[in-house]
Amino acid sequence: MTNEATDLLGNALSADERELVDIYTRLKALSGRDDLPPVATANAKQAMVLMWNACNDLALICEEPGCD
Amino acid sequence: MPVTDSPFWNPKTETLPREQLQALQLVKLQHLVRRAWDTSPFHRRLYEKASVTPDQIKTFDDIHRLPFMTREDWMECQAQKPLFGDMITRPESEAIRYHLTSGTSGRQPLRVLDGRKDWSWIADMWCYGFWGFGIRPTDKVFFAFSYGSFIGFWGAHYACEKMGTLTLASGNMSTEQRVKQIVEMGVTVVCATPTYALRMGQTAEKMGIDLKKDGKVRRIIVSGEPAGSIPAVKQMIEDMWGGKCGDTAGMTEIGTIMIFECDHQPGGPHIIEDHFIEEVLDPDSGEPMAYGERGERVVTSFGRGFMPLIRYKTKDLVCKVPYTTCDCGRTGDIYEGGILGRVDDMKLVRGTNVYPRAVEAVVREHSEIEEFQIILSRRDDVQDEITVKVELKPDQADQWTRLEGQLQKDLAEAHEGLRFNVELAAQDELPRFELKAKRLQDLRPQY
Ligand SMILES: [Zn+2]
Repeated sequence: MTNEATDLLGNALSADERELVDIYTRLKALSGRDDLPPVATANAKQAMVLMWNACNDLALICEEPGCD
Repeated sequence: MPVTDSPFWNPKTETLPREQLQALQLVKLQHLVRRAWDTSPFHRRLYEKASVTPDQIKTFDDIHRLPFMTREDWMECQAQKPLFGDMITRPESEAIRYHLTSGTSGRQPLRVLDGRKDWSWIADMWCYGFWGFGIRPTDKVFFAFSYGSFIGFWGAHYACEKMGTLTLASGNMSTEQRVKQIVEMGVTVVCATPTYALRMGQTAEKMGIDLKKDGKVRRIIVSGEPAGSIPAVKQMIEDMWGGKCGDTAGMTEIGTIMIFECDHQPGGPHIIEDHFIEEVLDPDSGEPMAYGERGERVVTSFGRGFMPLIRYKTKDLVCKVPYTTCDCGRTGDIYEGGILGRVDDMKLVRGTNVYPRAVEAVVREHSEIEEFQIILSRRDDVQDEITVKVELKPDQADQWTRLEGQLQKDLAEAHEGLRFNVELAAQDELPRFELKAKRLQDLRPQY
């Protein structure tokens, strides 16, 4: 995870950008849990990769989300 | 501003000043090389052989320290360790998609895997292109595509779902059924290979349908063949359909598109430079070519996590010109005239890659065959045909009935189901060669 205070270009994150990264981070945490029912895990993963795209395309993060 | 008024899918990075764009590419490159080094034995081997380590990538120009990756290396790695080689960075069980493309030699295809994130990214790249060519959530987008093992428009389909268009799949339809549905549903965007866009237009004429009057198509997005950037072909498509025709290009090795024409159509597609580094190099020396000079495309892709693609020699011939050639506001450079051709002998037939040596490998499995020729032609001005003419050994004539079907089946199997015509030549009809054999004739008109 990169420093959440700035994007990959070193610019401070806007409030909207912070919210996007925050949602992504929370979804990633949910995706990694193994104690949730399949319906929760699978849909969290789908949602997480969509948020990864938003954050990655906006140069807010640079990482592989690391879930199947 | 309502979201649909944005001319860009991603205004932030599509309009970045060049020096910032390059800074972004460097950060992504450093991460990618590090990850490849850590997780892909294939890449670790390649880099150790070239005595380069991830921490040596300090500036953008350090990309030149990295060795090239070729399709031959990739195929070799898959042959050594079937099915996917040792370049995959994650366990196979974590993939959600499998696609393939015909190989450079023999029957082995090039196999690719994508994870859940990769697949979503693949769709996202198409979003850049579709949005940039003016497609919006209110559009009705029709895919004239077979939805098979070839990756083709798969990502574009998901891109349209993501963007919120009405998305129409037509995998099982005949050309007539497709034309009918396009008119009946008031489809506004059609996606096809340029050849097939023309074929549908011709079919509509035969059916007594004037697509310009009876249809509502305002955009035709083509992919899969260099013809999509040839002005004469575009003009033919636009005259038939009454909409604007825009080109895109991608490859199975990337899984998606790396270039697309924006709505301004400055004479070539923009490179999606926040997701790819596209170098244009002298195919022999590997030296960079200047703007305006033709060279080989070498691509680095930041998106596909399962299979890192770093400095991959594509053998596509291109000519890069600066982004300032277009006034749309994007800062991604442009490939003038799209993909101009190949630096090797690969041919594209109805969107499928055909390597003469792969055809030869299949033909040579049949010992009854003495000589052969591959003939590429164009039927009715639009339909590409591939014919393999074979001459049997003198005592093998009675094998033809059996061989004809078998050869057709084998060739199709080695080429993602592409239909080959197989013809019998008379004794001594085909030319014989002593030195460099010329067993391929491309009779298709060159524009
Ligand atoms: Zn433009």
